[in-house]
Amino acid sequence: MADDDRAHRTSDIPADLKEEREAFVRQFLRRGFELTEDVLAENRGLRDQIQKAQEDNARLRAALASNDAIRDLIKKIDGLEAERQHLVSETSTLAENSKRNEERTNEVEQELHDLANLYIASSHLHATLSVRGVVRHMRELLQQLLGAERYAIFVLREPDRASVLVAEGIDPATVIQVGEGAIGTVIATGRARVVEGPPQPPGSLESPLAIIPLRVRERVLGAIVVVSVFEQKERWAAVDHELLDLMGAQAGIALLSARLFAGVADARALLPGIDALLVPSGGSIPPPPNPPPGRGEDV
Amino acid sequence: MSDFTCLVVEDSPMMRQLLVFALARIKRIQVTEAEDGVDALRKLATNRYDLIMTDINMPIMDGLKLVKRIRSDVNHASTPIIIITTEGSTEDRQRAMALGANAYITKPIQAPQVIQKVKELLKIP
Repeated sequence: MADDDRAHRTSDIPADLKEEREAFVRQFLRRGFELTEDVLAENRGLRDQIQKAQEDNARLRAALASNDAIRDLIKKIDGLEAERQHLVSETSTLAENSKRNEERTNEVEQELHDLANLYIASSHLHATLSVRGVVRHMRELLQQLLGAERYAIFVLREPDRASVLVAEGIDPATVIQVGEGAIGTVIATGRARVVEGPPQPPGSLESPLAIIPLRVRERVLGAIVVVSVFEQKERWAAVDHELLDLMGAQAGIALLSARLFAGVADARALLPGIDALLVPSGGSIPPPPNPPPGRGEDV
Repeated sequence: MSDFTCLVVEDSPMMRQLLVFALARIKRIQVTEAEDGVDALRKLATNRYDLIMTDINMPIMDGLKLVKRIRSDVNHASTPIIIITTEGSTEDRQRAMALGANAYITKPIQAPQVIQKVKELLKIP
């Protein structure tokens, strides 16, 4: 019965309405299809955009990470540069210190050498009891340590005249009048005279390079005269002046001591009575022994 | 304990002492002294030395003859030799160098120069 009604109702719809309805349905379906297509296309576009955005994001993240790494590297380079500057500065300071130490070492070596020279000069001057030995040492001091080429040692054989005790390159017959000329003046005054500046060119007997009085206490016994030094000696060293002073102060004493021993065959002969000489003053000093004639000990 | 041995040949006791003092500034060097050429040859016959330092003007046997003898000695043919001269003896110095000496020092000697020459020849830093 119901089927009959439905068939009846359908068959009741007019043909044009039916077509219209079908057209509507077709249009609706087409429109739905188009809409679906649009949605799908839009969806694809969105997917592309999302992918692109993700790619951009990844790129940006990478760039950001890269910038951080560069920043870190730059920071590290700055740190290393500062460290390098510090090390360069320290190296420079160390090099300066090293140079200063080297200079100081050289100075100390030179001072040691000078002290050794003075020690050797002094010890050798007093290491002999013979006049010949003292004179030999004086010659060696002048030649070997001072570098003297022409020189002479004058002694006062008379109160107003000094003559040559030993000489090298100078007339041994030379006589000096005390108080006259450069040498005579030094003997008279007791004041040494050494040319200022370099010891070149050579001097002369009238104007020597150095005149040193031979002193025993306040007395002048003569003079050491240096007329010229070896060519290679271009300047006086500080120790040369000290060496000349030492000779002036000690060579005279060594010479006189040796002279006193000249007649003593055995130094032990002088020992008896030596205690009496310890008395400061007023004590009775025993007479010196009467030694046999001789030339003294050549120690 | 010494690493190096040096023979100093010099007739002047004062100069010898000065040279010994200078060489004493170099660590681990043992110095033997000889008064002249003959004394030096005697010592060279029984000992080996790393360095010989000799004066030129000496009695009995001078430095030139000594240099010649040392160079003909198998044991010391290549031992470094330093000669000590004075400025006036340029010819002697040239002869000594021609005979085989390695270096020279002029008088008056300066310890720092002696030390420097010895260190150079013995290759001591």
